[in-house]
Amino acid sequence: MIRRLVLAVAVMLTAAACGSGPSVTEDGLTKITVGVIPIVDVAPVYLGVQKGFFAEQRLELELQTAQGGAAIVPGVVSGQFQFGFSNTTSLLLASAQGLPVKAVASGVASTGEPGKDFGAVVVAADSPIKTARDLAGKKVAVNTLRNINTTTVGNVVAADGGDPSAITYVELPFPDIAPAIARGDVDAGQLVEPFLTIATGQGDRQVVSNYAGTAPGLTVGLYFTGSQQDQAVVRAFTTAITRSMEYASAHPDEARAALSTYTKIDPAVQAALVLPKWPSTVDRASVQRLADLAQKDGLLPRAPDLNVLLP
Amino acid sequence: MRRPLLGAAGLLVVMALLEALPRAGLVDGRFLPPFGTTARALGAQLATGGFWTVLGQTARGWALGLALAMVAGVVAGMVIGSVPVLRAATASTIEFLRPIPSVALIPLVVLVYGSRPESALVLVVYAAFWQVLIQVLYGAADVDPVVRDTARSYRFSRWGTLRTVVWPTVLPYAATGFRLAAAVALILEITAELVIGVPGLGHAIGVAQSSGAVAETYALVIVVGLIGVVVNLSARAVERRVLRWHTSVRRDL
Repeated sequence: MIRRLVLAVAVMLTAAACGSGPSVTEDGLTKITVGVIPIVDVAPVYLGVQKGFFAEQRLELELQTAQGGAAIVPGVVSGQFQFGFSNTTSLLLASAQGLPVKAVASGVASTGEPGKDFGAVVVAADSPIKTARDLAGKKVAVNTLRNINTTTVGNVVAADGGDPSAITYVELPFPDIAPAIARGDVDAGQLVEPFLTIATGQGDRQVVSNYAGTAPGLTVGLYFTGSQQDQAVVRAFTTAITRSMEYASAHPDEARAALSTYTKIDPAVQAALVLPKWPSTVDRASVQRLADLAQKDGLLPRAPDLNVLLP
Repeated sequence: MRRPLLGAAGLLVVMALLEALPRAGLVDGRFLPPFGTTARALGAQLATGGFWTVLGQTARGWALGLALAMVAGVVAGMVIGSVPVLRAATASTIEFLRPIPSVALIPLVVLVYGSRPESALVLVVYAAFWQVLIQVLYGAADVDPVVRDTARSYRFSRWGTLRTVVWPTVLPYAATGFRLAAAVALILEITAELVIGVPGLGHAIGVAQSSGAVAETYALVIVVGLIGVVVNLSARAVERRVLRWHTSVRRDL
């Protein structure tokens, strides 16, 4: 609720909002603030800072964690953050509302392996739901209504021959979804890591990988900026974050270890969870796919021009 | 002597229940671990430097916000309360602003300050200020008319009246306001950290929660509860010290 309120107020106040721009530190580094969510997806940023990839580009990062991705968009638009991380559908929606958001780099992508992705729909072990089709007519928990998780779950259900319009979605924070399934409040829930590994470790069963099932290399999240950015800073950030993601992809153990610097994930879970893909380029076709799904579900009034959002 | 003992007994019962309920399967141990597990997680937390850093951040935000609210509330309350015209002119405005829950200002402070400590400070000061102001206003209205008239008969200056007549009457009210504000300030500090992501204990709870670390989450919640107890006990101690001359505290009457 609060996230939506924040977004609504941001839309109204965009013109009035004033923020502090990047400043230069004593040793000549440009100081920028990046809004992130303390989840697995952003491990490359933390790793990149450790490895000095941002300092190489004369950038000093201040990472500010927000509880929800939707709070980051207003932060970037108002100039609080110079860059932010958000899921692709949220950015498509923000862009369609006329907010000046511009993707600067790929953020996180599906592994493309059904059953071995970082996001999936899970049910209780003894649930009669066996395949995606069975989710039709059931209650499914998602962390945000009318966003990437409802469109992709609907898509994989439709692909399996079910009727996505018969699904009742319930909005719950990720930590509350497995308890709701256990109590029987919902029949299924869409989870991402580390909750996916925790839930399956406690006996829940994966039904379908909604990201991998939508597009093999689905671009789930993106790094983005607002409109009035210094282009040299944007280029430097893009270079550094791309380098960080390449490094994280090549050194998954270091990416895994970086998790303990900004999360409290249990060491056993940290070792077992499925890392997402951190590709260096945006999979444009998959963003188009998400836009089509958002339009089909009525989240977007018309087909968006991807050139406005994507680099 | 019996009251602290009873208090400790109450705590022990709660701990025993928290241990027994998950073990007996009455609640799901995955989502509410037995007290022993939580206590171990708490012990592990206490051993990390990060824990003390966030505890310090929370304490600093709370103390600063409370201090600002106290000063602003007492000054505004004394001034408004001693000038009947001001009091009449501000009454409806105060009654309009006071019920606005501080948390309703979250979208606003997020836009202006993002997840910096200033966000929490605004919420804490806003919430705590009204607690103090209202008490001080009541206190200023409670001045004994005979004493006030006596001061006037002796031609006390305005400052002299404030210091020797109004202030001693206001002080017990201000002390109550302080105790209420101390608790409210803590609630808002933690809320701001949890919801907005301002650095501090609340943020650590949020991170533990979004990491699926159930025991750590409860451990930090217990810490917040303990801080609440400490805050309340200290506020009462301050109250007794400041009002040691007052009939409500003096035992020798």
